[in-house]
Amino acid sequence: MSDGQQKKTFVITRFDPDRDDAPRKQAYEIPVHPDWKVLDALNFIKDEIDATLSHRWSCRMAVCGSCGMMVDGEPRLTCKEALDQYGDTVDVAPLANFPVVRDLVIEADGFMEKLTSVKPWIIRAKELAVEEGPMRQSPGELEEFKQFSMCINCMLCYSACPVVANEPEFIGPAAIALGHRYSLDSRDEGAAERNEVFRGEGTVFSCSFANECSEVCPKHVDPAAAVNQAKLNAAIDWATSLVLSRGGSK
Amino acid sequence: MKHPLLKLEPLIWLLFGQGILLGTILLTPWVLVVGLGVPLGIVPAEALSYERAIALASHIVGRLILLGLIVLPLWKGVHHMRHSFIDFGGAERDALVAPLLYLLATIGSVLALVAVVRI
Ligand code: FES
Repeated sequence: MSDGQQKKTFVITRFDPDRDDAPRKQAYEIPVHPDWKVLDALNFIKDEIDATLSHRWSCRMAVCGSCGMMVDGEPRLTCKEALDQYGDTVDVAPLANFPVVRDLVIEADGFMEKLTSVKPWIIRAKELAVEEGPMRQSPGELEEFKQFSMCINCMLCYSACPVVANEPEFIGPAAIALGHRYSLDSRDEGAAERNEVFRGEGTVFSCSFANECSEVCPKHVDPAAAVNQAKLNAAIDWATSLVLSRGGSK
Repeated sequence: MKHPLLKLEPLIWLLFGQGILLGTILLTPWVLVVGLGVPLGIVPAEALSYERAIALASHIVGRLILLGLIVLPLWKGVHHMRHSFIDFGGAERDALVAPLLYLLATIGSVLALVAVVRI
């Protein structure tokens, strides 16, 4: 609160579906603290200047995944991005490649459908009876998929992905990584079902390995690796089922 | 939009992937020998004399290598062209362009097969 406090201008994309035909930009010049994150500035604007500004956030610690936005054109978790790395003017817009509900809030329904489409749960041909005890998993088996389970569903990867931009039906990085995580799980037996999804309408083969998803992932999940492993598994599975179907089995 | 090629994507991707892997493994020594080795005199020109080359190419292993050398990079190439086309804004035309490109690769592959068999 000292006199010489630094100021920054935030150019924020605003959109009110009841009043605006198209998104517009609105600039706010505000005093900022050296230790602020981008989200702190947005909250300051909302609390002190313009209560009509809509944006999502919750945990403020890069865990809930709700505060993703385009900051200076790049998909970022606003609660994680230190403000001091940006210039005097910071552009904040809703995540790219998603429909906008209002201001900085995007519509995540399509993403949620993609998440469930990959059957992100353990599939068993036959459930183990309780008396049979717990399913054991070695640290090595856990290591197989652990990285891909760190996703917080922040959707930054969908914003960064050039394929999602071109083909909205593409299952996309986070959902493929999630499905792949379950297929890699030693307790799971559902890989074949998921491979079918991976070869379906939103096919994993649409991925052109731009690697942007892994670049922007705030949790270092490396979805690009998951997508490409999923491609290989889906292709091998396709080839084997081709050979096996000749023999009359599945 | 259901893509007409959806069912074949795994096959196309496998050919593309092998184009990168095997194609690169085969092409690199090929370029090293023919493009650098011979002109620089590291590999004696007689090593690739017509008689020796034809003997090499008509051996079954030679034929297989030649086939891989031509066909796999062909699929890698058209697949890259397809995706570049999409990246440059051609996504809506993909349903037309992709089959055309893959048809081209198929024709090339068949021609290569015929040529290799007839060596
Ligand atoms: S507010 Fe939860 S991840 Fe940013």
